[in-house]
Amino acid sequence: MNLSLSILEFAVIGAGLAILLADLWTPVPQKRNLGYAAAAAVGLIFLASMLMQAAAPAYAFEKMYVLDGLALFFKRFFLFAAVIVLVMSVEFADRIEAGIAEYYALIMFALAGMMFAASANDFILVFVSLELITVTFYVLTSFQRGRLHSLEAGVKYLILGALASAFLVYGIALVFGVANTTNFGELMGSARVASARPVFLLGLLLVLVGLGFKIAAFPFQIWAPDVYQGSPAPTTAFLAVGSKAAGFILLLRVLFSAVPEITVNWTKLLMVIAGMTILYGNLCAIPQRNLKRLLGYSSIAHAGYMLLGVAAMNSAGSSAILYYLGAYLFTVLAAFTVICVVMRGVEGDDISAVAGLHQRSPLLAASLSLAMVSLAGIPPLAGFFGKFLLLKAVVEKGATQPGCYWLIAVAILGVVISLYYYLGVVRAIYWSKGSAELSDIKVSWPIQVSLYACIAAMFYLGLFPDRLVNIAMEAVKALKL
Amino acid sequence: MTAGLEHYLVVSAILFCLGLLGVILRRNLLIIYMSLELMLNAANLAFVALSRFNNNLDGQIMVFFIITVAAAEVAVGLALIVALYRKRQTAHVEDLTLMKL
Repeated sequence: MNLSLSILEFAVIGAGLAILLADLWTPVPQKRNLGYAAAAAVGLIFLASMLMQAAAPAYAFEKMYVLDGLALFFKRFFLFAAVIVLVMSVEFADRIEAGIAEYYALIMFALAGMMFAASANDFILVFVSLELITVTFYVLTSFQRGRLHSLEAGVKYLILGALASAFLVYGIALVFGVANTTNFGELMGSARVASARPVFLLGLLLVLVGLGFKIAAFPFQIWAPDVYQGSPAPTTAFLAVGSKAAGFILLLRVLFSAVPEITVNWTKLLMVIAGMTILYGNLCAIPQRNLKRLLGYSSIAHAGYMLLGVAAMNSAGSSAILYYLGAYLFTVLAAFTVICVVMRGVEGDDISAVAGLHQRSPLLAASLSLAMVSLAGIPPLAGFFGKFLLLKAVVEKGATQPGCYWLIAVAILGVVISLYYYLGVVRAIYWSKGSAELSDIKVSWPIQVSLYACIAAMFYLGLFPDRLVNIAMEAVKALKL
Repeated sequence: MTAGLEHYLVVSAILFCLGLLGVILRRNLLIIYMSLELMLNAANLAFVALSRFNNNLDGQIMVFFIITVAAAEVAVGLALIVALYRKRQTAHVEDLTLMKL
């Protein structure tokens, strides 16, 4: 038992409880500022995580919990995302009728779940951390309980999320039944014997269904657009970044550290899922007029791109996923921060609400346009290099698997389609006529700081990718590839 | 005749399928939610039976986690459905049509 390994998670949970307690003694007008305290606390934990090292994997809780380079990479990722989301939710506070301190605390509890997920080395921890994330997100999505859209998003997420966890649990039961263990390390030993049993494969497939729901991969993506549209903007941002990344780390761990021998036979399945996800996300995004819904479909498409890295089944592919997630983090957070500020008092989040944004606030306009350009994958921004690395990994795989070239064609087709709707948003910002509202938008300094940080990171990652690529290469050594 | 592992697993598979059918076919949110709980309990039954016949207590530990998580999920889920009912006076999935393609 080595509790000190999970000190970061306990610190986050402690800070969340402290925010809940502090809420009792804070006068009502000051309550929204608790979010800055929460962001500062998570920021400090983020800095502390930079001091941690994980040269060799260390285990805790009967080997259920592992701390290695990969886990540490994702923990830092989630902590950084949570800081920006907390700043964003302070901006959003006046649109939530009651219980804003609980909103901050729930974000931190979801963050703790994601950090545990990053370290999962046992199906029990996979299930518990995933449920910690999902159940808190049920509340976060429906937090504006006076708004019917928010409630509807919450109920839809609830039903489909519970369905996915039922599949996951039943899958784990079947895997446990054949292999007689839930631990990834022991599973790898027995997987070769167990892989001959169809029940074991069925169990793994059901687990894959549960995880596919989390990352919104085809055909488990139905919930994503509705939930993205209906939720409060900070929740959507955290859902797009945190929840998706948690799904990917769990997928990587299950596929490449629990059952690597079986995964090798699933290349075709993963390739088909990746291709369909890319096409579905991009094609359905074209007619969207609601900005959050558009980003919901685009997040499906991005899950598809990242699945390319899984389907490539080499360390280049997996490290490309890590890089892509890093780029996606800054890009999506910048986009949702702008949405959160601009959509104040606008019902429907329609794209027309950003019309003429460059006259109202040049910073917001620049951030949103750069985010869109980066999502579309245009150099020199971060999103371009991420897609480049993923495609490169698939090309390497193509030598042994000719079907890969079709996959690349589909991915490039997806990028071309996506240019249309991403640049449509940019056009609305700079060149649309007849915008009704032209008053200046005041941007508070914490929002300015986080926007500048996101823009700087988008350019830095796009122009000098070496550093993050090296870190990602180092991190995926924890996987058996 | 004593009940063997297969009997338990078959019952659990039937429960799981019935739950899934309920989720797909029923139109009332509360009944859908009950069906989801049925699916979780099917997994519980499988875990308990497997851990009894494999002489491995890990499965029973997992069942405790599943029961706890399911309780948390029900608390949140029912609160949500009640909140929706107060607003719309309905608990039918056909009425959740605010957001569409």
